[in-house]
Amino acid sequence: MEQTKKHEVIVTDKVTKIFDPDGIPVNALNGIDLTITSGEFTAIVGPSGSGKTTFLNIISGLDTPTEGKVTLSGKIISEMSGNELSDFRRDNIGFIFQAYNLIPVLTVEENVEYIMLLAGVSKTERHQRVKKMLEAVGLEGVEDRLPTQLSGGQQQRVAIARAMVSEPTIILADEPTANLDSKTGNDLLDMMRRLNDETGMTFIFSTHDPMVMDSARRLITLRDGQVDTDETK
Amino acid sequence: MILKIAFRNIFRQKRRTILTALAMIVGFTLSSVFIGWSDGTYSNMISTFTGNRIGHIQVHSRGYLDKPSLYNTINDVAIVGETIQSIPEVEAWAPRLFASGIGSVNEKSTAVRIIGIDVTRETKATQFDKKVIEGTTLAETASGQAVIGKGLAKILAATVGSEIVVFSQAADGSIANDLYEVVGIIESGDAITDRVACYLHIEDAQQLFVLEGRVHEIVITVSKINKVAIVTEDVQTRLNDPLLEVSPWQVVAKSFYKAMKADQQGDAIGRVIIMLIVAIGVLNTVLMSVLERTREYGVLKAVGTKPRQIFLLVVTEVIIIAIASICIGAILGIFINYLLSINGIKLPQEFTYGGMKFGTMYAEVNMRSLIIPAITVMLSAIIVSLFPAIKAARILPAKAMRTH
Repeated sequence: MEQTKKHEVIVTDKVTKIFDPDGIPVNALNGIDLTITSGEFTAIVGPSGSGKTTFLNIISGLDTPTEGKVTLSGKIISEMSGNELSDFRRDNIGFIFQAYNLIPVLTVEENVEYIMLLAGVSKTERHQRVKKMLEAVGLEGVEDRLPTQLSGGQQQRVAIARAMVSEPTIILADEPTANLDSKTGNDLLDMMRRLNDETGMTFIFSTHDPMVMDSARRLITLRDGQVDTDETK
Repeated sequence: MILKIAFRNIFRQKRRTILTALAMIVGFTLSSVFIGWSDGTYSNMISTFTGNRIGHIQVHSRGYLDKPSLYNTINDVAIVGETIQSIPEVEAWAPRLFASGIGSVNEKSTAVRIIGIDVTRETKATQFDKKVIEGTTLAETASGQAVIGKGLAKILAATVGSEIVVFSQAADGSIANDLYEVVGIIESGDAITDRVACYLHIEDAQQLFVLEGRVHEIVITVSKINKVAIVTEDVQTRLNDPLLEVSPWQVVAKSFYKAMKADQQGDAIGRVIIMLIVAIGVLNTVLMSVLERTREYGVLKAVGTKPRQIFLLVVTEVIIIAIASICIGAILGIFINYLLSINGIKLPQEFTYGGMKFGTMYAEVNMRSLIIPAITVMLSAIIVSLFPAIKAARILPAKAMRTH
């Protein structure tokens, strides 16, 4: 696919997050300044408790920073209301979770279709896009199954299809291979690399998995809530 | 899609759905039987009370109802009667004359209430003949006969064939005094009335009190009790006489009606308590369900579902269960009320209400016994689901997805 001109999709400005669950404040993020441009395939790594998932949650608007500002596709998401954020996430961000997090009562096809339904995409277009996406992730023939009738790898493929089907600006993947065996993990990683090349979508992973780190083109290491290293391969 | 997810969630959490539905079904059925039973009992009482004694509507000369007086009479009975008869919903009408006096049989004397009746009309309106327990009813024409209450017969030691002397003051100030043959003894169901009642043919009574062609009361019965209000208005309009007062049974039997209404309010409190118990049960299961599915709501929110849609999802699930429960509860309610309306329940001990004895109570199948529980179940289900729904809608996705 012809690469379009690179532009900034995520800019974080001194993002700080303090959790205070039992009255003892814990600094999960300490003034992170980062810029991520379109089409990146970036892995955020670091030991447990370094703030990877918190960072992902904050740049996707699932959580709000205690201090600092997050700009996503030119919009400051830390200032949006609940409804605005819902719409913004639906249209701009695709999520892939470690535990797949599919909607248990919906079939594979319905899970992938769900976000487009929320966005008001027409039935014909929805069906075309779901079909194309399920082909892309190699899930033809299981459209009518429920998530519980699929293997872990298949469920994660559905999650990838769901994340990508509405063609968001960014795909955020939180430990996407953690629950998978290495072969399945590797296959999915190859697939995401291919989709990244083909569509130019931005992929950001939080991971411990050396396989993901190897595949990433940019590796950001967090330590104690701060950027420790930031390498581009 | 929200509806689809709601439906599938209901079948997915079968045990919880059954528990929630059971609470609603039991609440609906209890409430329905409560209303059917209460309405049946009151319908029974009203129909006995009105059918046997006071009729559904009464016409009096203005002021008589508040302050009965021998002199305050309806003068054009024939014209008034004709007007009443012309109303299609009117089933029967009967004129009555009331006066007080002393009744004597042999050596015994007591206060009596003389009631002059047109026996043919009275029988049609209030089944007068069926209340005669000894002897016969009055002759159709005036012939110096009397039918006395059971209690009065006992006080005066009178039997069928005894002669009763009635002594009073006539409307013209003269002494009213005559002798009548006791042809029957009556038990009206109202023991107080039976201790003083002395029924005479209306013409005999008019002659005794010098009230020829005049009466104190006209009793009307209608084809259906729910038509009382309309017919009352119709009679008043057609009579078009400011000197006449047309009153429905609720006004005539004010104290009976008030006591009945107070009882019904007591029933409403019972229904509220039933529904409160149901609501707490439903709230508990719905809250548990929301708690268990915190992660799922977090995911739904993360992928772009609006808080409003999550709220709707929780409420919709409860509404679907409520609709199904109402349908099942309605079938059960109709079935139980129908059985109770046929067989009734025999009370271990008869009770007296408004002067009437009741031994077996019957329920009634009516719309009220379905609509009120349906509204109550639906409303309480929606109200109790609001709190869990708001809780689900406010879930923070990042926090929710950390739960397991």
